[in-house]
Amino acid sequence: MSSLRIVIAEDSVILRDGLAQLLIDRGHEVVAIVGDAVGLGPAVDEHRPDVAVVDVRMPPTFTDEGLVASIELRRKHPEIGVLVFSQWVETRYAAELLAGNASGVGYLLKDRVADVGEFIDALARVASGGTALDPDVVSQLMGSSRQRDALERLTPREREVLALMAQGLSNGAIATALTVTDRAVEKHVGNIFTKLDLPPSDAHHRRVLAVLKSLG
Amino acid sequence: MGVAPPSIRQVTPSIRHSERRKIATMRDTDTVPMTLLRAPFEARTWRELAYVLVGVALSCIAAVYLFVGFATGGLFAIVLIGIPVLVATIVGGRVWGELHRWLCATLLRTPIDAPAPFTQKPGILGLVRSGLTDPVGWRAMVYLTVKSVFGAAAGFFALLFAATAALFTVSPIIWWLEHPINIDSNGVERRSMIQIDDFYFDTLPRMLLLASVGLVCLFLAPWPIRAWTAIDVILVRGLLGETKRDKRLQQLQETRTTAVEDSAATLRSVERDLHDGTQARLVTMAMALGRAEQKIATGDDATALIADAHANAKEALRELRELVRGIHPPALDLGLPHALETLASRSAAPVELSVNLPVRPTHGIEAIAYFSVAELLTNVAKHAGASATWLNVATVGNDLVITVRDNGIGGADPRNGTGLAGLAARAGTVDGSMTVTSPPGGPTVVTMTLPLAGSR
Repeated sequence: MSSLRIVIAEDSVILRDGLAQLLIDRGHEVVAIVGDAVGLGPAVDEHRPDVAVVDVRMPPTFTDEGLVASIELRRKHPEIGVLVFSQWVETRYAAELLAGNASGVGYLLKDRVADVGEFIDALARVASGGTALDPDVVSQLMGSSRQRDALERLTPREREVLALMAQGLSNGAIATALTVTDRAVEKHVGNIFTKLDLPPSDAHHRRVLAVLKSLG
Repeated sequence: MGVAPPSIRQVTPSIRHSERRKIATMRDTDTVPMTLLRAPFEARTWRELAYVLVGVALSCIAAVYLFVGFATGGLFAIVLIGIPVLVATIVGGRVWGELHRWLCATLLRTPIDAPAPFTQKPGILGLVRSGLTDPVGWRAMVYLTVKSVFGAAAGFFALLFAATAALFTVSPIIWWLEHPINIDSNGVERRSMIQIDDFYFDTLPRMLLLASVGLVCLFLAPWPIRAWTAIDVILVRGLLGETKRDKRLQQLQETRTTAVEDSAATLRSVERDLHDGTQARLVTMAMALGRAEQKIATGDDATALIADAHANAKEALRELRELVRGIHPPALDLGLPHALETLASRSAAPVELSVNLPVRPTHGIEAIAYFSVAELLTNVAKHAGASATWLNVATVGNDLVITVRDNGIGGADPRNGTGLAGLAARAGTVDGSMTVTSPPGGPTVVTMTLPLAGSR
């Protein structure tokens, strides 16, 4: 994996230092660290990173300024990946963040940093134009889905594959996660697309979007 | 779907009380002729008669009381001795009130709640001022005045009617035994005790006619008595009973206690969760890391210990997130509709959600609504055995109305268990209310009404 250039926006000193250390240990370059949403824009403009890691709750109101800044960032610099990073996840925020475009965007619980390997994979995916959606968001989406009947037609294994697909994993990554062959995953994906009546899609982030759309 | 009409349980004690009374006084034989025939023989009639008799006597005493109290008090007020008399007279009205409420309760079986007890400001001047301005005392004065003016008269006429009717009824016996003699205007002796103009009741048939008129009147006599006692009860309730303010005060005290207890209980449970869950996990984690450190220092393999600590750390994070959600769900920052959406998507049982909130409630109301819905959905998942749940949230006037309906087994009763009663109490802290309709066999419908603005 090539070294990534990263900007971090996070108000908690312990967290941002720990995160920076973790990324540096993995051979990435943290080009800037800011403590609030206001500083994010200038830092990105200046450093042009591959990806920005942004906390949702930051000063001054501690509500959703990180999210607003991230949406702005995606609009202004579509080529820069944005990983929104939060103490808790909400489907509404996910919907606002993705807003019809799932490329180069991630939305994860802060807890996910604990699984360093998976976190770095997600970050790399976002940096290279992919998607990383938290398992919690996906399960919320599946829980409230209007397609509940269609989802019930899926086998348990197909539902697992669907969840991982919605999280933004590629077929290869899904195969590794479930310890099955690529062929098996392809077969499951084909079945899911048929059962949910989805148009086949080759581009990876379009596939995520199609899956999410069908769930919503 | 059950065909039995759903039983509605309003979780408000006062309403339950009056419902019970209504049921108790309904009888199958309540037709008009039966009621008329039964009235003179009912214990109630005699108790009411006793009440009116005592009332007439008390009215006379009350008139003297008022006259003596205010005349001497007013007269001697200039030389200050009168003021204590006035204070005693006014505050003494409370004793009169208590006496009348007791009579209502024992003779009329109508318990009336007592007003708030007398509170005095400190010092002798304070006592005088509190006494002279005691609203309960003054209301009792008004009652006593009304009662001594109208009460005596009305009671007297009601009694006179009954007594006359009784006398007419037994008059043939007296006529037969006593041989009363009247002399008419023409100087003719008539064997009669009663006459109307020139019509003398001087023969047996005529006496029997009089007796039957008396008998009819005797059956009618309970009704003026009943009417007067009914008016008196209204007066007692209005002037000697609890005021709206007393009621409100009591309700506020009760709901404040609920609110304080509720928040204390929440804090206790948060403390317990932190102590038993997260803190214990962190201790375990620190121990594992400490042991790992030692192992690494001596060149041993510590992978298992570190993996253990790692797993504990992740679990602690998950627990903390749940705990935070229990204190203040972050989704509420986005507004109630979204928070409920999240809640519904997390529910174990499928929930059909419909939200229509043109006006955003206050934060406090949103939190109460959210946690109540959370508890109701948990109840459905735990007890109802429902295959579908409908959650409807809308504004009606100045209220937020939440309806949770399920197609489960029904039979939910706020009086069993503390869950639903607790929710009703919580709604009460903001002057909201909750009704539960849950016939055996279902469906269960719980409706909660909360003021949008946070209070009434």
